[in-house]
Amino acid sequence: MTTYDKRSSWQLQLLLLPCLLLIGALVIYPALYSVYLSLTNASLVGVAATHPRFVGPGNYLRLFGDGGFWHSLVVTLWFVLGSAVIGQFLLGLGSALLLRRPLRFKNLINSIILLPNAVPEVVAGYIWISMLAGGEQSTLNRLLGLLGIPSVQWLERFPLVMIIVANTWRGIASAMILMMAGLSAVPPEICEAARIDGASPRQIFRFITLPLIMPTIFLYMLVSTVTTISIFGFIYALTRGGPGNATEIIGIYIYNQSFTAFQLGYGSAVAVVTLVISIAIGLFYVRALKVQV
Amino acid sequence: MSKSKPAFSAIFDRDVVAYATLSLISIFCLLPFVWLILASFDKNASLFLRWPSPWTLNNYIGIFVREGGARWFFNSFVVVGTATIIVLLLAGLGGYALSRMKVWWKRPFLYTIILVRVVPPPALIVPLYKILLTGNEAVGSFVRSLVSPESVRPAMLVVGLIDGYFGLTLVFAAMQLPLALWIMKTYFDTIPHDYEEAALVDGANLFQRIRLVIAPLALPGLAAAGLFAFISAWGDFLMPLILLSSSELQMLPLGLFRAFLRVQQIDYGFLSALAILYMLPAVIAFGFARRYFVQTFSGGVKA
Repeated sequence: MTTYDKRSSWQLQLLLLPCLLLIGALVIYPALYSVYLSLTNASLVGVAATHPRFVGPGNYLRLFGDGGFWHSLVVTLWFVLGSAVIGQFLLGLGSALLLRRPLRFKNLINSIILLPNAVPEVVAGYIWISMLAGGEQSTLNRLLGLLGIPSVQWLERFPLVMIIVANTWRGIASAMILMMAGLSAVPPEICEAARIDGASPRQIFRFITLPLIMPTIFLYMLVSTVTTISIFGFIYALTRGGPGNATEIIGIYIYNQSFTAFQLGYGSAVAVVTLVISIAIGLFYVRALKVQV
Repeated sequence: MSKSKPAFSAIFDRDVVAYATLSLISIFCLLPFVWLILASFDKNASLFLRWPSPWTLNNYIGIFVREGGARWFFNSFVVVGTATIIVLLLAGLGGYALSRMKVWWKRPFLYTIILVRVVPPPALIVPLYKILLTGNEAVGSFVRSLVSPESVRPAMLVVGLIDGYFGLTLVFAAMQLPLALWIMKTYFDTIPHDYEEAALVDGANLFQRIRLVIAPLALPGLAAAGLFAFISAWGDFLMPLILLSSSELQMLPLGLFRAFLRVQQIDYGFLSALAILYMLPAVIAFGFARRYFVQTFSGGVKA
């Protein structure tokens, strides 16, 4: 290495330093610190707020016997499966496939589907409160009233299904955009050749398009799973985890344990479990991306 | 899909199915907005869907007159705007360095950046709060030693790490930095080294090269990185919820949320108008960011 190369290498590393410091101090260090906190009885109030005591794996032992924690994990699982893996994916893939046709209003439809994705999470929560409100005058009940269906207190009767529907609404666009990118990489000549050989559109999709977009689908599943696990604001604004704890997804559970019940140590244990799950999925994501250096 | 010419009826049938399905999806996407828009023009708006009577613009005007509205906008713009500028500056320099450097820890570092991106923010709130609280005490004693007692509180509202502009700005910047760094790194990868080398031969030092050669070339990448940082911080609700409590610092997401929690006396017209103005910058930014969206999942922005 010449002196010039050495010097410029140092200069470059210096340029990266502020990024390292900020991410290190406010993302990586907190993530590691949460592991330590989870082994203490840290609290937001009382003696344990100023002088937390080391309690070893106590919080984790408590976690395994805590019905609320398991309930929250199960709710999160259904939430991810229902909204990201099934709802957003099917509607997104469907829209992407249909929008490949030379239709009129294509750009308009495209923008309409993108709109829910662009809305801040609190606004999304606010408008779904009205949408799903009980009584005959709410948007959904009025619409179903036209079909002769009696009005329902949607968020009280079917809380989990409703947050799945609402979150599906919010995320169709991200699935659609990614699927469009995947589909555009499928060479039209192959489909044309299959069509000439007499394949039906369904067969072309099943045996040509689908296998070719499989890597994109896999990537989408990984990304949407981790982003759906991270959701807090939208559901908190919509239900605050209620009624009871019916929609207490893991993010809301961490918040409630830490800042409503003041048990920072216990909340951290839940956070660490969530971190481990997300990082495990992230490792698959790293492999799938094939990073170029 | 390229078609030759199948029978007219076949095209017609399939297109009808496509239009019908897409219309249903579009209605699903638009339906929740109908109430929001109508309520924002309704003098007597309620939680329920109704035709405005009488129509009014007062809900929108009220945002800039009544307590709350304008202040919340100001706070959101200050915090999110500053955070976005910090992200652009740091990610621009850092992304350039990452693209050009040849060190052994480059690959592990890039993998770490991806893993940092999957960390769920709710999992960080407790340690972040504790860390910032400790830092805040240090900042507090420093500020007390500098200014007179009565100006400690106003000063802390600006530079405090908890319940201050500065802390939330740093947190937003740190949260958005990994994606921005990633976008910038992959963007610089597509810019040939020739330009810098030419400037180097002409005797420009590193900072002249960055300012005169690299920064202008980086603009499209910076646009993408900045848009995503802005959208994500603008919409974020969790961090303000944890880190802010003073009413002077109230930001849009929190102000809106607290206002519609008050079960009595909710002014739905006012809140709906506020929600529309709040979502507008995000929607506009999203419109511009749309074409870079795929790359945030799968790689970087191509030049």
